[in-house]
Amino acid sequence: MDLHEISVQLQAGKARVVKTLVQQAIDEGIPAQEILEKGLLDGMSIIGEKFKNNEVFVPEVLIAARAMNQGVALLKPLLAEAGVKASGKVCIGTVQGDLHDIGKNLVKLMLEGKGLEVIDLGTDVSPETFVKMAVEQNCQIICCSALLTTTMGVMADVVKAAEAAGIRDKVKIMIGGAPVNQAFCDQIGADAYTSDAASAADMAVSLCG
Amino acid sequence: MMAELVIFQNGASKTVAFTGEEKLSVLLQRAGAYMPHPCGGHGSCGKCAVTVTGAVSEPNDNERRAGVRLSCQITVLGDAVVTLPDSPRDEQIETETGGLTGALAPMPGQYGAAVDIGTTTLAVKLFDLKTGACIGTAAGLNPQTAVAADVMGRIGAAMAGSLRLLQGQVTDEIERLLAECRAQAGVAGGPESLVLTGNTTMLYLLTGRDPECLSHAPFHADTLFGGETALLGCRAYLPPCMNAFVGADITCAVLASGMCGKNEIALLCDIGTNGEMALWKDGTLYVTSTAAGPAFEGAGISCGCGSVRGAIDRVWLEDGQLRVHTLGDADAVGVCGSGLIDAIAAALQSEQIDETGFMEDDCLPLSGSVALQPQDIRAVQLAKAAIAAGMEVLLETAGVSLGSVDTLYIAGGFGSHLNVESAAAIGLLPPALTGRTRIIGNAALSGAVQALLDQNAHQALDRIASLSVHVNLGGSPRFNEKYVEHMLFGDDE
Repeated sequence: MDLHEISVQLQAGKARVVKTLVQQAIDEGIPAQEILEKGLLDGMSIIGEKFKNNEVFVPEVLIAARAMNQGVALLKPLLAEAGVKASGKVCIGTVQGDLHDIGKNLVKLMLEGKGLEVIDLGTDVSPETFVKMAVEQNCQIICCSALLTTTMGVMADVVKAAEAAGIRDKVKIMIGGAPVNQAFCDQIGADAYTSDAASAADMAVSLCG
Repeated sequence: MMAELVIFQNGASKTVAFTGEEKLSVLLQRAGAYMPHPCGGHGSCGKCAVTVTGAVSEPNDNERRAGVRLSCQITVLGDAVVTLPDSPRDEQIETETGGLTGALAPMPGQYGAAVDIGTTTLAVKLFDLKTGACIGTAAGLNPQTAVAADVMGRIGAAMAGSLRLLQGQVTDEIERLLAECRAQAGVAGGPESLVLTGNTTMLYLLTGRDPECLSHAPFHADTLFGGETALLGCRAYLPPCMNAFVGADITCAVLASGMCGKNEIALLCDIGTNGEMALWKDGTLYVTSTAAGPAFEGAGISCGCGSVRGAIDRVWLEDGQLRVHTLGDADAVGVCGSGLIDAIAAALQSEQIDETGFMEDDCLPLSGSVALQPQDIRAVQLAKAAIAAGMEVLLETAGVSLGSVDTLYIAGGFGSHLNVESAAAIGLLPPALTGRTRIIGNAALSGAVQALLDQNAHQALDRIASLSVHVNLGGSPRFNEKYVEHMLFGDDE
């Protein structure tokens, strides 16, 4: 079958069709890695690009992501069997005091889409937890998200905590979220700010490279 | 060196003097000019466009991106002239409170007033406490909107040193509205007693209390009010809030609905920038709140506006064509919340929008130059998904199926004008409940009036608050799952 059709249906957000097509591709004996890359990830990266260019908006991305997750669920056991290796490791979370995770989940999805392994620390994550997990899990990048102007300040504490733990030269810190911008990133001494999930994934890949 | 800024608005001008350089938004606030900054002055929403000439800063990146000068981004360097969009002086604010009985055990004094402090609007009713008659009604915009449109923005501003400013803004406006009521009634003095309701943040700002505890998780309010104090030179009763994001306005709305007095399963929903919900089942009131964003109030919608003259408030399909009605039958200037919901419902019916929210054409023309853009549909999807998912998770948590809900009460200004059929068609409200939905107007104000005219109601409000159990949606995986599901308009096949 043509894996491009999976990509097209994913972009249109048709979760049930995507699921059916992925199963069909598996049944036809197409390797899981190929279905993932040429079907699901291809579709998601096109949505990501369009999102970056303001051609599509958050709901389309979330609806497409929902379709992707249903396809990935079918592929996961097969990918684990094949022992595919990640190109880098990232821990991600919404900072302490903040419970908003829609944006964080989108970035996580895009990072996974680029073949990175992502440790999801959830919401309301303390600076200490970010640093502790980065050390324990040997992550190259810490990604911090915040939606509130009242919680974005915690990102500065994450940078300080990384300095205090002596890992600042080993771990890159990326920040994102509605109230954050490049000026804020420079001010707190984080490594990178990106304005959308697709750009965040590109940035993470280049930082891991 | 002294410089002057001349401000034109509503066909009149004002002048404000300043020295050195000053942010335009600060000068407008100082001059008392109405200019909302929906995104809190971040330069990201593009809604505060103005025309400006004279000694001002060059357009920055945000302004170049928006293609207009933004009042929140401009620094005034010397003499300058700015023209602002007209303020919505004829904005229609919901003050209808439904049927009321006379005074039973009223609060003390000759006159008393009930005040609903909304995030966007204020509503006041003045009563003769001896007869229980309403003798004056007034409504206005909450002047704090100029600082930030949403509660979080205001909490941030209060923490950054603007607490006294925010408090002064709201008390000044209440004073003004009370004076308007007195003029209507032809009375010189009073009121002696007040009932002031509003969401938790509004009561913090009204009483000048530091809202730091409301600014971050676990969002634990260090007071929930619910008692008498002295405010504005009156004896003031503040009804109890239920938690940081389900405030006294909802406690009052629940009282006004009478839902806790009946042996039924009832759901109450106040749809606004925040959607607050309360579910009554077997003596427990399950409450929650969800952030819908300002789409239903017309903000963040390209052609969005409040309920002003010329706002498209009704849209329907006739012979396959979209038809519109505007407030005051004027030429269309924009679309308000109820019109927005109608328009999308009609476009789904005519298949101009598909179930994923995709629009085949570049835009959806409504009337004249007013048209909905693809991103407007997307903004509504985000907002309605937050409400619908919140409602579903609340019902699930309480173990209630839609079929067993006896009544759905819709409270608040937006809900008062809502076409329930359209709301169900776009999935904002459950289609199964359209036949069991009751629109109850500004129920927060109704509840406050009850508390003013009958002090026994204070106990009833305390009881409602004490029976409440908060259902937290923040970071709930179930909510996230439902949120994405409700992003769609109907089934995806």
